[in-house]
Amino acid sequence: MNKKLAYTPEEMMICTAARLIPDKTTCFIGYGIPQIVIILAQKLYAPNACQVYEFGAIGPQIVIPFRRGMFSDSRNNYRSVAWTYMNTMFAHACLGYIDYGFLGAAQVDPYGNINSTQIGFDHSRPKIRFPGSGGANDVASYCWKTFLIMKHEKERFVKKLDFLTSPGYLDGPDAREKAGLPRGGGPYRVITSIALFGFDEKTKYMELLALAPEYSKEDVFKNMNFEPLVAKKIEELKPPTEEELRLLREEIDPDRGIIGRI
Amino acid sequence: MIMKIEESGMGSFKFTDPDDMREWVRDKKSRFLESKLMTEQEAIERFVKDGDYLAFDLAVLVRGPSSLEREIVRQRKKNLFLAGKFSFLDCALLVAGGCVTRIDCGFMGGGASHFRAIEKGEVEVIEWSNGTISARFLAGALGLPFIPWRGLMGTETFKHSAAKIAIDPFTGKRITLLPALNPDVALIHANQCDVYGNARLFGPGCTPIEVATASKRVIISTEEIIDIEEIRKAPAKTTIPYYMVDAVVLAPFGGHPGSVPGLYDADFEHMNEFFKAEKDSALMEKYLDKYVHHCKDHQEYLDKIGKSKLEELKRKEIREGYYE
Repeated sequence: MNKKLAYTPEEMMICTAARLIPDKTTCFIGYGIPQIVIILAQKLYAPNACQVYEFGAIGPQIVIPFRRGMFSDSRNNYRSVAWTYMNTMFAHACLGYIDYGFLGAAQVDPYGNINSTQIGFDHSRPKIRFPGSGGANDVASYCWKTFLIMKHEKERFVKKLDFLTSPGYLDGPDAREKAGLPRGGGPYRVITSIALFGFDEKTKYMELLALAPEYSKEDVFKNMNFEPLVAKKIEELKPPTEEELRLLREEIDPDRGIIGRI
Repeated sequence: MIMKIEESGMGSFKFTDPDDMREWVRDKKSRFLESKLMTEQEAIERFVKDGDYLAFDLAVLVRGPSSLEREIVRQRKKNLFLAGKFSFLDCALLVAGGCVTRIDCGFMGGGASHFRAIEKGEVEVIEWSNGTISARFLAGALGLPFIPWRGLMGTETFKHSAAKIAIDPFTGKRITLLPALNPDVALIHANQCDVYGNARLFGPGCTPIEVATASKRVIISTEEIIDIEEIRKAPAKTTIPYYMVDAVVLAPFGGHPGSVPGLYDADFEHMNEFFKAEKDSALMEKYLDKYVHHCKDHQEYLDKIGKSKLEELKRKEIREGYYE
């Protein structure tokens, strides 16, 4: 499905996400792509956004070039304003200090619930087992707004998850609050390499907001197992700029471990 | 007023009565400032039994007690119940070594051995999250039977946990009750420690204080033994006080193949060797023979990794912020 473009699907997702981070906010950053997103965002769009990590680092300035595969090492922890511990960080999120959470997932459903536990419906004998929630259930429960960044593949956009690991809007409006989750949180945007989704205010159902250049609504729909709502006006996402690509390829991820190669 | 329970997770859990824990602490934990220095072999032999609940702080990736985990495999401990929180190769190594039958899952990263075992039904998993396992350690460290928490609701993670959802008598809202977690044994890797167990951990981390406080037995491996006079000159640097600690094991490069931030970098080459070995059980057996069973102790393991490699990992590491 990926067309021949001057940038990779990962670069498209990373740039889209980086532009959506407002300045002067706190961001709960997970392993991998979100680390690159926040580095790029701080360089170009949100210099005063504060990264926080489940392992206790607050406000680090990650050393670049970024090294894939490490989390909580000295490069990740570099020049933080505070080094704390895990219970502190989730308490901050639970108290409402953390604006945005960044997650990935194997599957997402129309209400933004996500699966990072397993493929197959039998918990005692999964077909494919994954690492599990990690901090995702906590981040999805406590941060004010969560971003989901994932590949646009049909088997990832499903009506019913094989396993509901972390909460989106559960089964619709007010369901989070009824379940007992903190009031006012929930998924905010789903970013793929070809589309940007939000959630309809009334129904909390996933809604197509924007398309990547060269992709149509049909391209998006045929790679999903459910049909999302469609915004009144579908915007077009801008392709990665020269400046974004230069930063990503020359300074942030020159080995292309995360951004990939064309 | 009766606190109404609305839902219960179906998972099993390690139950500890807080009064039993208090009596354990009264009867079994020495208050005497005495040397607890011993070899990793002695520490694991004395304090880890088959069937124990085992917790570690941080993971093979960073400041994890890797040398102690290898010793557990070397001694072929069985039927362990693991706190698989923020773990990297830890679960994979211990499962591949045949030591594990149950895992409390926060995050079981790296590897594939444990995934295969879970898919075959050989290892039972109880679902939590990194945050809720941390909170369970906190409850255990506070001497409480449970802790109210605002996560897990609405998910299958909750259904496959051992948590309960109740109506909070103060707000009338639904609240999750997490059972306290008091592990039988905690393994914690320190930057510095004296022979009595006063331990210093530098850098951010998961829950070293909660895990050390909540556990019945605490084994510290340390990069360096320092004098108690140094400890007394800078008491604010002490992370864990001596009376919680049962064993102190000197283990330079004890976090290898992971990093100890501020001291040495991770050994990606070695981690890749582990990942390759995970492709099938015969390869894994070879890996375990080479790096665990055929090494008498941690020192022999380090000899296999080689001095030049270890020196290189030290040279590559950023020191700023850790040892000041």
